[in-house]
Amino acid sequence: MRAKTVVDFALQFGVKLSLNEELLVQTDGRFFLLNSQIKSLVKDNFFYAGTFLGKVKNSKFFPSFTLLSMIAKQQEANRILVDRKVGWLFICGRDIFKKGVMRTYGKIQRNSHVLVFNEFGECLGFGRVLAGLEQQADKNVVAVANVLDVGDFLRRERDL
Amino acid sequence: MVSFFCKVFIFLFFFLVLMSGREFFVSRYEQLGWKYRPVKLRQAIRFNCANIKSQDLISRLSCLGLNLEKISFLPHGYWVCDSSVSAGATAEYLLGLYSVQEAAAQIPVILFTDLKGKTVLDASAAPGGKTVQLADSMDNTGSIVAIDINKRRLTALTNHLERCHVKNAVVYQIDARNSPKLGLKFDCVLVDAPCSGNFASDPMWFQNRTLQDVERNARVQREMLMKAAECLTDDGEIVYSTCSLEPEENELNIDWALHRLDLQVAEINCTGTPGLTNIFGKQLDPSVACCRRFWPDPTQGFFVCKLVRRHT
Ligand SMILES: C[S@@+](CC[C@H](N)C(=O)[O-])C[C@H]1O[C@@H](n2cnc3c(N)ncnc32)[C@H](O)[C@@H]1O
Repeated sequence: MRAKTVVDFALQFGVKLSLNEELLVQTDGRFFLLNSQIKSLVKDNFFYAGTFLGKVKNSKFFPSFTLLSMIAKQQEANRILVDRKVGWLFICGRDIFKKGVMRTYGKIQRNSHVLVFNEFGECLGFGRVLAGLEQQADKNVVAVANVLDVGDFLRRERDL
Repeated sequence: MVSFFCKVFIFLFFFLVLMSGREFFVSRYEQLGWKYRPVKLRQAIRFNCANIKSQDLISRLSCLGLNLEKISFLPHGYWVCDSSVSAGATAEYLLGLYSVQEAAAQIPVILFTDLKGKTVLDASAAPGGKTVQLADSMDNTGSIVAIDINKRRLTALTNHLERCHVKNAVVYQIDARNSPKLGLKFDCVLVDAPCSGNFASDPMWFQNRTLQDVERNARVQREMLMKAAECLTDDGEIVYSTCSLEPEENELNIDWALHRLDLQVAEINCTGTPGLTNIFGKQLDPSVACCRRFWPDPTQGFFVCKLVRRHT
């Protein structure tokens, strides 16, 4: 069940993750992937362990950035590439205009989710495709709406 | 009755007025051999080498207008020379490619002998600067048990772990004085102890601190050291550090540990000045000189040492 939540999330990006259910643990609605080294150190009252995959809140799954990076490592992941300036605006919580998309990879369909990569191939977060990304589309429309970006770490620091 | 109140008043006056304040502490530093001067700290960062090659990061940060200078005594530490951006708010920081970490605070972790594959206890870990550094030095091999008593600070720690893609840490909210209850033995124990801090990193330090605070912290630190020793494997290493300049939390605690616990101070190859072996006329074990004390400038005030089991 735990694995299914995470695997289903990855499928939205066209990626089939295989996770060993034996190494998945959960506390407080948060999912973690262990490795064999740390498995024996994890007791009932743990606060965090291994690789944080995401959390379920009000029946909705919120991925961690580590999970997004795991998905991003797969060749087949649906993704768009943006330059430094557009990447920075995305990190600040902004949506991405069609003209800001340098390249696309995988199957990009309206309403589907895409990872957002910077020019170094690092995952900055993900968004939802709002408009067609094909050549002839209007360049001044919002193409990808921001869903989650790494600027979240700064927002979390501020809220602590 | 009157005489009781008089005694309480004199006691409070003694502790809060005479044993506190700038003059009191500055005169202690002078007795210990350091002349007080106001200090401006230099900002430092540490590259997370498991996540990026140093050369690539240097050129990426320089493109952003963040110019760096290598810190001679640290393997992955850099001074921020001048910057048109905030070091804690770049995409590279948010992607976990580096951490903002004060220079002296980067020293404790590098004192462990080869961390790869080891089982490590980070006994007061939040907000996690050194936990991330441990994981990076271990290349995410082995395991780290990171504990702290404060839940809010643990949340900050887990944000750092996620940002820097740490995979080998298990985190518990526990009092380090209960760490033997984990039932584990550790090859390396980091006691980066809760302490009174120092004036260089806290502008209100002289106004806020009294000798009583220092002594209270020193007591907790001794208890933490004692429990750290209980969790240590026979050939294990404890690194003890504080960001305090007060000898009660540093040399005097180490001297106490040498007499009360089955530990000895190990030689370290490290910058800083030797630990003091005469504190206000009290002669300490000569091996305390193997500790390192950092009077502020350009780093904050700091103290560090490595302890191993006593060889018989
Ligand atoms: C100097 S800070 C540690 C900094 C940390 N090692 C780092 O590098 O980010 C001291 C920490 O000790 C924690 N602490 C205080 N008393 C404690 C106790 N009895 N057991 C465990 N942690 C404690 C505090 O909550 C604080 O987070």
